[in-house]
Amino acid sequence: MNTLKTVGHPTSRIDAEKRVTGTATYTGDLRLPGMLYARVLRSPHPHARIRRIDLSRAQALPGVKAILTHENCDVIWGSGDMRNKRYLFNDPVRFVGDAVAAVAATDRHTAEEATRLIAVDYEVLPFVLEPEDALKPGAPEIQPGGNLSPTARGAHEPEQYRRGNIDEGLRAADRVFEDQYSSPHINNAQLEPRVAIAQWDGDRLTVHTPTQGISNCHTEIARDLKLAPEKVRIICQFMGGGFGNKNQDHDFELMAAVLAQQAGAPVKIEFTRKEDFLAVHGRWPTKQYYKVGVRNDGTLTAIQLRGYSGMGPYRKGTGGIAGIEIYQCPHVERLVYPTYTNKAVSANLRGPDFPQGVFGIESLMDDVAYALKMDPVEFRLKNMTRKLNDQIPYTSIGLEDCIRRGAEAFEWRKRWHAPGEGSGPVKRGAGMAMGSFSSSMGRSSAVIDLDARGTYHLHVGVTDIGTGAKTTMALIAAEELGVPLEKIDVIWGDTDRCPFSVGESGSRTTTQTGWAVVEAAKDLKRQMAEKGLPQGNQLLTATVNANPAPLTGQARYSFVAHFAEVEVDTETGHVRVTKYVAAHDSGRIVNPLTAESQVKGGATMGIGMALHEELLYDRASGQPLNAGYYGARILTHLDTPEVDVLWIQTEDPYGPFGAKTLGEPTIIPSPASVGNAIHNAIGKRVNDLPITREKILGVLA
Amino acid sequence: MKSFANVNARDAKDAVAKLGQPNAVAVGGGSDLLGMVKEHLVEPDVLVHLKSIRKLDQVSAKAGEVQIGGLITLDTLSREPAIRSRYTVLAEAAESVGTPQIRNAGTLAGNVCQRPWCWYYRNGFPCFKAGGKQCFSITGENQFHAIFGGGPSFIVHPSDTAPALVALDAKFRVTNSDGERTIPAAEFFALPRVDAARENVLAQDEILTAVDLPAARPHTRSTYHKVLDREAWTHAVVSAAIVLEMDQQVCKSARIVLGGVAPIPWRLPKVEAMLAGKPITPELAAQAAEAALEGANPLAKNAYKVPLTKAVVRRTLLSLATKA
Amino acid sequence: MSKISRRRFVEGTGAGLVATTVPLQGQTAKAAAAVPHTTVKLTVNGTVHRLDVEDRWTLAEVLRDHLGLTGSKIGCDRGECGACTVLLDGKNVYSCSQLAVWADGRTVQTVEGLAQNGKLDPLQEAFIEHDGPQCGFCTSGQLMSAKALLNHNPHPTTDEVRAGMTGNICRCGNYNHYVESVLAAAATLAADSRRKA
Repeated sequence: MNTLKTVGHPTSRIDAEKRVTGTATYTGDLRLPGMLYARVLRSPHPHARIRRIDLSRAQALPGVKAILTHENCDVIWGSGDMRNKRYLFNDPVRFVGDAVAAVAATDRHTAEEATRLIAVDYEVLPFVLEPEDALKPGAPEIQPGGNLSPTARGAHEPEQYRRGNIDEGLRAADRVFEDQYSSPHINNAQLEPRVAIAQWDGDRLTVHTPTQGISNCHTEIARDLKLAPEKVRIICQFMGGGFGNKNQDHDFELMAAVLAQQAGAPVKIEFTRKEDFLAVHGRWPTKQYYKVGVRNDGTLTAIQLRGYSGMGPYRKGTGGIAGIEIYQCPHVERLVYPTYTNKAVSANLRGPDFPQGVFGIESLMDDVAYALKMDPVEFRLKNMTRKLNDQIPYTSIGLEDCIRRGAEAFEWRKRWHAPGEGSGPVKRGAGMAMGSFSSSMGRSSAVIDLDARGTYHLHVGVTDIGTGAKTTMALIAAEELGVPLEKIDVIWGDTDRCPFSVGESGSRTTTQTGWAVVEAAKDLKRQMAEKGLPQGNQLLTATVNANPAPLTGQARYSFVAHFAEVEVDTETGHVRVTKYVAAHDSGRIVNPLTAESQVKGGATMGIGMALHEELLYDRASGQPLNAGYYGARILTHLDTPEVDVLWIQTEDPYGPFGAKTLGEPTIIPSPASVGNAIHNAIGKRVNDLPITREKILGVLA
Repeated sequence: MKSFANVNARDAKDAVAKLGQPNAVAVGGGSDLLGMVKEHLVEPDVLVHLKSIRKLDQVSAKAGEVQIGGLITLDTLSREPAIRSRYTVLAEAAESVGTPQIRNAGTLAGNVCQRPWCWYYRNGFPCFKAGGKQCFSITGENQFHAIFGGGPSFIVHPSDTAPALVALDAKFRVTNSDGERTIPAAEFFALPRVDAARENVLAQDEILTAVDLPAARPHTRSTYHKVLDREAWTHAVVSAAIVLEMDQQVCKSARIVLGGVAPIPWRLPKVEAMLAGKPITPELAAQAAEAALEGANPLAKNAYKVPLTKAVVRRTLLSLATKA
Repeated sequence: MSKISRRRFVEGTGAGLVATTVPLQGQTAKAAAAVPHTTVKLTVNGTVHRLDVEDRWTLAEVLRDHLGLTGSKIGCDRGECGACTVLLDGKNVYSCSQLAVWADGRTVQTVEGLAQNGKLDPLQEAFIEHDGPQCGFCTSGQLMSAKALLNHNPHPTTDEVRAGMTGNICRCGNYNHYVESVLAAAATLAADSRRKA
C-alpha cells in the first residue's frame, strides 16, 4: 500500500484540547435565558391501560408551566416504531418506563416534584417478558395483530434467508451438530444521558440534542411535528457517545419541542440514568437454535438457524441475528422471529445484529472443530467466507490475514490447547472468533469554502460520537487538497451550516461522508485551476452531494478476527482476560491513533458483554432490577486488559483512499472469542450470555 | 430531589437532639443516602450532617486500645499505619469498598450502617426492608442473596468493614439522648427474624459515633478477602474477615466472619473452635471450609455461593496462616 | 408525608416505605414554595464564591448550573460513573453525591482549574497525545482522578493507575489509552522535577 502524506499517520483530534479542558460544550452544558426544565413520568407497570390521569395537583404546583399526556398530545414518534403508530405517550403503556406524562417547570426539582403529583389510575394488564413465551397461544397481545412483529411488507412471518436446500445439506453431512444459545438485553450505556433543548423563534424550531445524525434528526423531527424542514434546525457540537441509541429523532426531543411551544419558553428535558437504561433502548435479547452439518474433513454442508429476538413492545430495530454469513456453506437457512415483549425496547447497539449472533455460531463452530479434532484456527481458515453468501466477490478481503497474522501475534499455538487441559484450580484457555460487516458506499455530502487567506472551511454534517469523525474528515480533505491539516477548518453539527450527512450509524461516516469530502476537494481543485485563488472577500465553494452508484456484482466488507486468552479460577468462577489481540481489515486506516481507540473500546465493550452485562427482570412483576452502571457491571479500569491492535490494510479500490468501515466490527467477535477461551480453559461451555461466575460454577459443579 | 433542610451537628449530643425533629435523617459521607433520597427510597425533611462534628474522624490509642471515630473516611482508615499494621483486616476491608471517590467521602460508621443493596429494596419494592410484609427475592432473582440466616428477609449485609469489626471483637460506641452506651460488634447487628425492617439494634434516638478495638495481641495477623462481581465497585458476593493468633505454626485462636452470605456479618464459632490449638495445614483448612458451610441453605439461584465460600475460607485461611 | 424513622446512623437511615408504583402523596404546593436554602462559601479553582444555595443542590449542580463550570459532567447522578469527579480539599469525590452545603468553607478543583496560566497540565497534554478521550464525556472525571492520584503518588505503576481511576467509567472503553496517558504524564512530571532539582 502506498504511503500518503496526511492520511494514515497517527494524529491527535483537532478538538482534543477542548475535550481535556472542559470547554467542549455538550448539550447539557447549555443554558438559554428563561429556559424551563422538563421531566418525564413513566409507567411503573409492564403493561397497563390508563383509566384516568389527574393533573390537578401537579398543575397547582407553583412553577409548573406545561404538562403533556396522551390526552392532550397526539404526536406520533415515527422513529420509535417501524411498524405501528407509537405516540409520544401511549395508552396502553407496554413496558416499565413507557412515557406517561412530561412536565416543564421553572427548575428541574419542581418538574420532578410535579411528575410525582400526577395521579394515574392504571388497569394492570397481563404481561410477557420472553419472546418464545410471547409467541405461545394465549399470550398477552402487546400490539394489534399478534406478538410476531410483521415484516416490512406487513406479513406476520419470520424474517427469512435461504440458499441451497437445507435438508439436502443436512443429509450430505457426516455429522450434524445442534445447540442453543441466548443473549440478554443490554444497554448502550453511553456516558451522556439524554438531554435536549428546544427553542421556538416564531414558527422556527431549534433543537440542541446529542445525536449521531443531525440530518436524520432534522428530517424526522420535521416529519413528526409536521413542520417544513427549513423550519427546523438541529445543533450538536459535542456529544457523549451513543453506540446506536442516538441515531434517529427521539421522543424526548419531540417532547421538549411541544412543551416549549405550549409554555412559550425554551425547554431543557433531562433523563435520569435509570430512564436512559429503561426508556430508550438496548441490544435485543436473543434465543438461537442452530443445526450445523459437516463432513469428516471439516467441510461445512449446512447451517440452519432459528432465532427469536425480543424487541420490547415497539419495533425500533431489525431484530436480526447475524453471524452465519462469515462461513462458506452451500445450504443455509435462517429464520428469525422479531417478537414483541413487555421489556425495555430493543434496537441498535454497536453492530446491532452481530455480536450475539456471532457468539452463537462461533461457539458452535468451536465445538464442531473440537469434535473433528481440528484446530479452531484451521477450521475457520478452511470454512471462512470467500464470497458474500458464496456468490458475490468482495472488493477486498483480508479475513485470512486477520486470522493468520492475528493468531501469530497472539501466539495461538503456544496458548491454545485441548479444552479443559491443565492442572490446578486456575486454568488458562485461548479462544478466537471472526466477523464481517458491510462497508458499502452511499449518499452523503460535503461543502468546502476556500477563502483568500488560504483556509479551507469544510462543512460536514457530522457530530463525532467519539470516533474522531471531525478529524478524519479534516485529514481526508487535507490529503486530497494537498495542504497541511492546519489549513482545514471543520464546521460540523449544525443543520443550518452543514449539508446532509449520513448519520454516524452503520459505521458509515468515513466511507460515505469521507467520500463526499474527497469529491468536494477534487471539485475545488478543478475550480482553483480554472478560476485561480479567491481574492478579498471572495470564497471559492465546492458543493458535493455524492451518491455513488451501488456496487453491482461486488460486495464491500470489513473483516475482523479477535483472539482472547483468559484465566478461569475453577473454584471461584472468576474470569480474567489476560491477553487480547484484535486483527482488523478495514482497508486503509485514515487515523491509526483514533482508530486504535475504537478497536480497544469495541473489544472492551465486548468483554463486558461476555462476562457481565444483562438487564435483569423480576419474572413475577415484570420490573427491571439492575438498571445503571453499578447494576450492569460495566467494565472498569481494573477489569480491562491490554488490547493489541493489528491492522490488516487491504487495498480496496473504493472509498476514500480505500478506507473501509471500522467502528462496529470492533465488538463483533469479542464476546465469542472470550466465550471460546473460557471453554478452552475449563472444557465446559456456557451457552447463555453473560458468562457469569454463577454459570461457570454451575457447569463445573 | 425532594427538598429538605440540611443542619450541621456540632457534636454527637447535638446530632441526637437534631434528629429529634420530625422526619430527620443522619448523614455522614452521603454517597449512598443521597442516591436513596434521589430514588425516593428515603424522603427526609431534615438531614443532620454529622461530618461537621469535629474530631469524630480520628484514630486514637489508649493503653493499647484503639478508638476510631465513626466519621473517619474509609480512605483515611485504610491508610492509617496503626490500622494497616495491627488491624490489617479492617484496613483491607475499608480499601475494598467502592471506588476511590466513595472511600474519600464515605465513613466507617456509614459503611457499617448502610442499608441493604438488595435490588428489590433498591428498586422500591414494598419489601420487609421498606416496611412491607414480603421478601421478593425468595421466589425471584436471588443470586446475590443470603445462604445463611435468611428469613423472613434474605438480604445480605452490604458492609465490608462490619465483618472486619466483628472479627476484631470491636465495641461500638453509640450516643443517644441519655448519653452513651457501648455494644459489642457481634451484638450490634440484628437478624431479620429479630427485626425484618432493619439490620442493627440502634434505637430510634441513637447514632454510632465510634468504634473501640481491643489491644492487638502479639503474633496476631489478619486479612480481609473479598470476591466482587467485577474487579471494583460491587458489594461482596462473598467475603471473609479472618483474625489468627499464632504461636509459631500453631493457631492459638481464630476469628472468622463472612460477608455477603447472610443478613448480618456471619461469624463461624464452630470453625474457630476446630482451628484452635492446631497447625493450619491444607487439610485442616479444607475441613474448616467444609464445616464453614454446614447449615448453608441456598435459594434457587445462589447455590454457587456454597463452593465459592468454601474456596474463599480455605484459601484465605491457608494464605494468612502461612504468610511470612 | 412518608414516615422516616431516625434511629440509625449515617447512610441510608430510615425505612422510607416507597414503591415506585405509588406516586408520593401529600407534598403540597406550599411545601415546595418554602425550599430551605443556605449561604455557603466555596473556593473553586482559587476563586472564593459566596452563594445562596438550596440545601438539596448537589455540588455538581451548583458547579454546573450556578458557577457555569460545565466541564464536570453528570453521567449517572448516583456515584456510579465518575463523570462528575472533582477534587474536594485535594481528594477526588463524586460531586453528584455531595451536597453543596457540605462543601461550605472547603476548596474545590474542577477540570477548568487544571491548566495554569494558560498552560495545560501535563495530564491534559498526555491525554491529547495518547488519545484518551473518545466521546469525551468521562474525560474531565478521568483527569481529576488522575490528578488526585499523582498528587499523592507521583510514580504510580500501571496497576496503581488502574486502581486509582477505577471509579471512572469509560463506556467508549478507552481505558488502555487513559492509563498510558497517566503514566506518560507521571514521567513528564518526574523529568520536570529532575530538571528543576
